[in-house]
Amino acid sequence: MKTILSLGLVRGLAWEILGTALGIGFVALVRALMGLPAWKAEPAVVFGALLGALFFLYGVGILNDWLKWAAGEETEDHLDDSHLGWRRYFGPSLDHKVIGIQYLVLSLLLMSVGGLFALIFRTELARSQMQFLTLNQYNTLMSLHGMVMIISILLGISAFMNYLVPMLIGARDMAFPRLNSFSFWIAVPAGLILLSSLFLGGFDTGWTGYPPLSVRAPLGMQMFFLGVSLAGFSSILGGLNIIVTVVRLRAHSMTAFRMPIFVWAALATSVISLTATQLIGLSFQMVMLQRLFGMGFFDPAKGGNPILFQHLFWFYSHPAVYIFVLPGLGIISELLPVFVRKPLFGYRWVAMSSLGIALVGFLVWAHHMFTSGMAEYLRVPFMYSTLLVAVPTGVKFFSWVATVWRGKISFDTPMLFILAGIIVFLLGGLSGPPNATISTDLHLHDTYFIVGHFHDTMYGGYIFPFFAAIFYWYPKMTGKRLNETLGKLQFWLIAPSFTVMSLLMMRVGLLGMRRRIADYDPALGFDPYHLVMTIMAFLTALGVIVFFINLIYTHFKGQPATGNVWNSRSPEWQVPSPMPVHNYDRELEVVGEPYDYGLPGSRYVKFHGEA
Amino acid sequence: MAHITKSAAFRLGLLVFGALAALTVVEFVLALYLNIWQLLLLVAILKAGLVLYYYMHIYRLFQADTTLDHNSYAYKLATNRLGLWLFFISDSFVFGGLMIARINLLGLTHPHLEQTVGLIVTAVLLISSFFMNRAETAMAHGDRKQFAISTAITLALGILFLIGVVGVEWQIAPFGPGDGAQGAVFYSMTGFHAFHVLTGVIFLAIVLRNGLRGRYSPEKHWGVEACAIYWHFVDVVWIFYYPALYLVGTAIA
Ligand SMILES: [Cu+2]
Repeated sequence: MKTILSLGLVRGLAWEILGTALGIGFVALVRALMGLPAWKAEPAVVFGALLGALFFLYGVGILNDWLKWAAGEETEDHLDDSHLGWRRYFGPSLDHKVIGIQYLVLSLLLMSVGGLFALIFRTELARSQMQFLTLNQYNTLMSLHGMVMIISILLGISAFMNYLVPMLIGARDMAFPRLNSFSFWIAVPAGLILLSSLFLGGFDTGWTGYPPLSVRAPLGMQMFFLGVSLAGFSSILGGLNIIVTVVRLRAHSMTAFRMPIFVWAALATSVISLTATQLIGLSFQMVMLQRLFGMGFFDPAKGGNPILFQHLFWFYSHPAVYIFVLPGLGIISELLPVFVRKPLFGYRWVAMSSLGIALVGFLVWAHHMFTSGMAEYLRVPFMYSTLLVAVPTGVKFFSWVATVWRGKISFDTPMLFILAGIIVFLLGGLSGPPNATISTDLHLHDTYFIVGHFHDTMYGGYIFPFFAAIFYWYPKMTGKRLNETLGKLQFWLIAPSFTVMSLLMMRVGLLGMRRRIADYDPALGFDPYHLVMTIMAFLTALGVIVFFINLIYTHFKGQPATGNVWNSRSPEWQVPSPMPVHNYDRELEVVGEPYDYGLPGSRYVKFHGEA
Repeated sequence: MAHITKSAAFRLGLLVFGALAALTVVEFVLALYLNIWQLLLLVAILKAGLVLYYYMHIYRLFQADTTLDHNSYAYKLATNRLGLWLFFISDSFVFGGLMIARINLLGLTHPHLEQTVGLIVTAVLLISSFFMNRAETAMAHGDRKQFAISTAITLALGILFLIGVVGVEWQIAPFGPGDGAQGAVFYSMTGFHAFHVLTGVIFLAIVLRNGLRGRYSPEKHWGVEACAIYWHFVDVVWIFYYPALYLVGTAIA
């Protein structure tokens, strides 16, 4: 019991409850003093939730060192907390490997929640007419599915960036370990606040939160906005940390063009999350202010402009999809050479293409607004800039195909996921230009075609590479290898059924099925499509359950794997697993190209003093 | 600027302050007689450039490392600097987003505001930046007394700025946050900025207290430097926000 109470997470939650109560009480008090009716739900709950999040951070203990600094005290750097055992995963650890795993667990947790939401409303959609959900429940679940998944993805990429980047560049830890821990822990209250919208009336705007609908939606809307804003800080500060770490803490001999490709991808992603994320936060906060204080940013009756919201929102939310997929594409490029035993084709081009996608991604946002009534002359430039993204993305495909070409492929589970990732991302990529082209988008906009396209890019660019990465680096994290049979079962459950589902989504979309709606006319004849899609969704979910079974099975019965399981050249595999607390005892020296697989006698790294 | 003498560094700070003050006057006069937004933008960019270079020492980001030892103070200092500047870049997107909202909603008009108050708070913030720079320079040259005095003055001016904006301008403005686009734009821009000033004031109080207790030295005073460039960053934001809110175009009736 005492052990449980000493956990940062438990203390944080206790403090969060206290903070929320204090915040609500404070607003009531101020209102009473101002001579207004003391109880008004919206301001009280918003302020309470905000204060609760701050109290949570204090309770976890993540602010302690900073408070000491403010008081003029010194603190110790790089505390080794491995004596705490499992407990350090529930507290403010400064070790990037611990934080990476914290991110991973929270990401998987949110992925399960978001997936569950999808299954519920997917079941509702299996037949036309409403079966068991109310319209508000459907809308809330559909909207939360989107945002919970987005946050889960942001946490998932942070998991691998945190865990891998310092190792791959030969650093002891991240540049700012406390900030790193803060970035993780702020995501916990953010997730809680976001999910609390379920119990506060829900909301019906979809994940985009467009006004004027979001101005009129129930209180749950505010929790959605606040939760996303807080999660945004996690992404922003995490990105900042990655950039500084990559720029400043590389091993001395690791020049830019000898960095592992995943590091390039992490850098490109972080550039976007550092900057653009602020604008989704701002656009959401502006709606919050409009709801709380009647500020008329997006209210035409007050001289406001609803289209302004869409510009600010999409300035982040388009590049956001590159935040989601760039690390995944980096993982594909990183693992492919290992499993085909050949050099990565066109390393420099692949490295640059990540930055290229990130930069072009800043110039394309208004392709989401072709039908929204923005100025017409804006459409054409945004169409061309969007189509331009295909160029750096094409570079990646070209490199992957050329890398696989005549390679000695071994079909371990990570490789299966990588190959599925490439194929599904290709489907997502090919279904993109029709949405970017004005003439076709006017018809496709707001149909299931978009839903199919988007899910293909997310599965190809994130979900499949993410599972590949888990299977690949699991031995590094735990010293045990995940079960291959269960892994392959998971793969064959997810990959084909998901692909069928996404293609059917595009199909019904082309036939005129609107997205986001709770019901459809039986006369349209979409019922069989939806039934198959629902079955496919359940098969996909079954695959994820097999994955969790695999985790449990491996924990108890997994075979130890402490060596270089995949025969990789990468530095983290040159030391025993699980990774030692201090990463590398000796300094890393880069002595060759990273991906010269198959070149006899060549090495990528050695350790100082090693022959 | 450890390579020049203390008095030369103080003189330079004063000179830059003079230039900033002169440009502010030019800006105000331009707004009265030649209200072309491009000119006002140009003046703001000049002012921001002076602050970025002479007060925020942006060039320090590009100086080569004196040591490659990742655990040395000098190396960590440069790392910290990069981190703080990236934070500024990130934060600029918030302020930039609000500016976009202002341009989109108000165009070539500005909220109906009391010009005297605007000029006074702008001057207060500008003078505070001068003293902030003086405090940092003093610490870099080991002049603890001057550091304490200048930091305290900066702190006081910061509070004065907050009183001017929140305590005076917000109260006397003829519109509330819910009154039209100008209400939304004005209260959000000044509100976000004032929040940053408030955090800067808290930062200043912490640095002053730790400075008085001898926690900083000419060689090791990252806390002071961080506080100073943060303060100047908040000033740079106001360099753009002041003309955007008070000067550009005609006042809304
Ligand atoms: Cu887009």
